Amino acid sequence: MTALDDTRSSLTELLSTSGVPVSRVEITGSATLGAQRSSLFINIYAGPNITEAVAQILAPGGREVIAPENDAAVLRLARKAGAPVAHVLAATNSAPVTGAQAIVVSRVAGESIPRKILRDAEENGTGDELAADLGAGLAKAHAVPVAELPADFERHERGAIHQAYCALMAQNVDEVGVPHPAARLGIHWLRQHLPSLPSSPTLVHGDLRNGNILVDRGRLSAMIDWELAHIGDPMEDLAWLCLRTWRFGNEDREVGGFGSLDSLRSAYEAAGGEWREDAFRWWTVARTVWWASGLNRQASAALDGLSDSIVLAASGRRVVEQDYDLLRLITP
Amino acid sequence: MDDDGAVGATYGQVMIDRPDAAQLLEAMAATLTNQVMPSLDGGPKHSARVVANLCGILAREWNHRADVPLAALQALLARPGDDYADLVAALDRRLTDPELSDDFAAAAHPVVMAETERRLAIDKPGYLDR
Repeated sequence: MTALDDTRSSLTELLSTSGVPVSRVEITGSATLGAQRSSLFINIYAGPNITEAVAQILAPGGREVIAPENDAAVLRLARKAGAPVAHVLAATNSAPVTGAQAIVVSRVAGESIPRKILRDAEENGTGDELAADLGAGLAKAHAVPVAELPADFERHERGAIHQAYCALMAQNVDEVGVPHPAARLGIHWLRQHLPSLPSSPTLVHGDLRNGNILVDRGRLSAMIDWELAHIGDPMEDLAWLCLRTWRFGNEDREVGGFGSLDSLRSAYEAAGGEWREDAFRWWTVARTVWWASGLNRQASAALDGLSDSIVLAASGRRVVEQDYDLLRLITP
Repeated sequence: MDDDGAVGATYGQVMIDRPDAAQLLEAMAATLTNQVMPSLDGGPKHSARVVANLCGILAREWNHRADVPLAALQALLARPGDDYADLVAALDRRLTDPELSDDFAAAAHPVVMAETERRLAIDKPGYLDR
């Protein structure tokens, strides 16, 4: 038995025990390989029927992220709330045969590579509509009943969300262990400018941006990669989505380099979301600190020999872009 | 400093041959971009693009290697010392102090910004002033 055979048997048994009709599974290719998980395109055969699906499997040595069973719970709740997300077929924290963590979802048509999304939106003239799709999708995801989210999701008191984030950022920078004066100045600013509070803490996607969305003919088909989902301030998602780094050079299009901030905001509010401008600004700073430190951490993973990825090593030379944006955001 | 002289460049007191480090790195980046990348796809093409970009970074780093800005850091921290890493570490510690004053943060901001612009000129010059 090869590793691939094991993976096929594992997925077949997992789907079968999850009530999905299946006679065999064929692996047809790999989607973009995430830093945390590998994604396989699979065909699920059952009699004359073929279902196209995507299996995400935690890569060996991968950092611990959201458990697949929690991931599945979040996806199901978001879908129930009307957000565009994939349909979950099966999820397990320990798959048959391999013991790997795995989640299988139905395949959604669409492109996730940022530059292709920019081209697609440009060709279809749908940049603002795409931004509006994201505003509406996020408003729906943020309306998921928090009480129904997995019990082991960390819950902060509404009034403690922002202080807790400041402490987390300080801890992140400390852990990387490289002097980072710009991030320190950012954290100081965050502590001095705590924003208004959300009406109540909500589900937060945690990494929604150009690159973690599927776009089909210029419009949103799914919000993907929920592995950083948590409970917190919904404005975190909106700020992260609009960071300069995700515009890929299209500076005047605040949303992912394709859409206007007005389109995003109008659609978010029309779908029931509560937009807080001071929190948007605060999270723009906070998430820029997070990403500056995150890029440093990726470089450490390469330098410490945990990865031989040149892309991860090169992350260390992208920290300065975040430092620059951060310092401009907090100019006294 | 770039040296196009016929006898090559010097690194410290040591003579080195032409092309110098920056010139070699620029040639490596051009080779990857113009000759290697067109025949690649997907992941390998992306890796080649990243390596070509890193060659460009290293070439600029070589050309800027003498531009270490000590004076502003020394003035801000009110301490002497010509070890750049020590000064940056000292600044990092000052900015981590729970009693950090807004005044010191405001004074540090332009110094850190100047330092950031220096690094950006090496790592991604196109990012400046957009």
